Amino acid sequence: MYPFGKGISRFVPFLLLLIPLALYVMFYFGPSVMTVIYSFTNITNVPGNGMKFIGLDNYHDVFFSGNSGERVDSIIRTLYFMFIVTVVQNGVALLVAVIINQKLKGDYFFRSVFFLPVVLGVAVVALVWSMMFDPLSGPVNQLYNALFGYKDMFFGSFTHAFRYIIFVQIWMYMGYSMLIFLAGLQSVPKELYEAGYIDGTTKWQSFRHITFSLIAPSFTVNMLLSIIGAMSTFDIILATTDGRFNTRTMAYDVYKETFRGSLEMGLPSALSVVQFLIILVFVIVAVKQMRKREVEY
Amino acid sequence: MKQSKSAKVLSYAVVTLLLVLYIVPLLLVFNVSFKSFTEYLLNPIGLVSDIQWNNYKDAWTQGNFSNYFLNSLLYTGVATVLTLIVSLFGAFPVARNYVRWSGLIYLFFLLSQFLPNPMVAQFKLMLAMKQEFGFVGYDTKLGYILLKTSGTGIVFMMFTGYIKSISRELDEAAGMDGCGYSRYLFQIVLPLMKPVIATGVILTAIGIWNDFVGPVMYLPSPANYPITFGLKEFRGQYGNNWPMLACGIMIVSTPLIVLYTFIQKYIVDGALAGAVKA
Repeated sequence: MYPFGKGISRFVPFLLLLIPLALYVMFYFGPSVMTVIYSFTNITNVPGNGMKFIGLDNYHDVFFSGNSGERVDSIIRTLYFMFIVTVVQNGVALLVAVIINQKLKGDYFFRSVFFLPVVLGVAVVALVWSMMFDPLSGPVNQLYNALFGYKDMFFGSFTHAFRYIIFVQIWMYMGYSMLIFLAGLQSVPKELYEAGYIDGTTKWQSFRHITFSLIAPSFTVNMLLSIIGAMSTFDIILATTDGRFNTRTMAYDVYKETFRGSLEMGLPSALSVVQFLIILVFVIVAVKQMRKREVEY
Repeated sequence: MKQSKSAKVLSYAVVTLLLVLYIVPLLLVFNVSFKSFTEYLLNPIGLVSDIQWNNYKDAWTQGNFSNYFLNSLLYTGVATVLTLIVSLFGAFPVARNYVRWSGLIYLFFLLSQFLPNPMVAQFKLMLAMKQEFGFVGYDTKLGYILLKTSGTGIVFMMFTGYIKSISRELDEAAGMDGCGYSRYLFQIVLPLMKPVIATGVILTAIGIWNDFVGPVMYLPSPANYPITFGLKEFRGQYGNNWPMLACGIMIVSTPLIVLYTFIQKYIVDGALAGAVKA
């Protein structure tokens, strides 16, 4: 029952609801759908030009046209990025979460520090690491030199730049994953460990069979976040190498071709759709795998 | 269960190592920001010997940070407030089933998390808006604020969940006393939602303040730069003059670090609530 009057006033909630709906449809849902539609047309960014339906030509061009080699490279690079980030970020985050969860002194301080990069934002983080990784005077190079007698170009190296970007991405978001694992760990009932202890389980067994099973939901969330995040991140790339030195990913290509390249909009749209399909496949696979492991207690 | 001593030591060692990896870069930046360029070139890592306070003054004026700071404040403030109000408009009737097809509308909003990247069409939309109206759209403050205002996503989910925990009888009592819908939303529901609003404000504000890609795409004129983009431009201007750039980094991040130390509990909890419920 609607308690706030009858007649005209019955429509007030609906009218107010129209505001978020309109904003959402106009700025997110609409553009998403339009991107899919554009991907089948020859639309350009020249005002007043119409668009013509050209079927799958854009998709064909993504994979088999003049510079499609580069685009295929960035697709492979994106997948590599996603795998490393997902595995390493969640691995480190789980380790840190388990450590912090065993009542370490200053646990709140630790988690605040690890979360700090998210608060500082990409612009600051990228610049901080550009300074650390400065090839001429950067502290990391001095460290390398002192330890191994070796120097690196970091963000200016054709072979290594992308690895350093992966490092910065993981450095930035590890704290986020760690928090989610911590929340999962704190919801595991203590009695289960005690029961296990009485039954004589080893530490590893109780981790493997109790902790690992019960934090499966946090795992699912973290996997989703890192897959979607890694597949669509390009702000770190934009802020560090700006796509030079073999560091372009799919999301970066979409950006580049939309805003700075040719005026063609069909190809970047097609690329967005391909990116979306890849994310979809990985998300579905990951969720299926994770759901299998989730247990009730 | 008892902890073995060596395990405890190992734990501390791992965490301390990571802590170093997180704190040392910031301390180094802080240190470098006080050096003169020559001192930096001669000794990039060592502790500063002759503190150059002027670095900060120079960076502040030459980087035009006061303008960018105000712009960031404007975008973040207005878009955050609007996002919260609009999310309330969306979340309340959906959580209470006061409109038809509430379930479907909820799903429709939930879909926002899984849509294809809208970047291309968004850009075209912003250009078209600019051409059509002039005062909104590409390269306008209003256009950017509107783009950043969304009644969807994590805030909407958090609000919907929280409103469900507010007693329905309250609605009925207020309705019986003749309270109107919008007045009820702002005078009764809004104050009751303080905890979830705090998290919503923080998450939204951090997201908008730190947005780096948005301004690069939609705000090309210097008069509209927010601080993140200002920092990028500052870097272009100063190349590898790290003492100057370090000042820029400190100027941009100090307010955030100070704010973070005061409200970190809410941020950390909020990030959690947002992530787990998303």
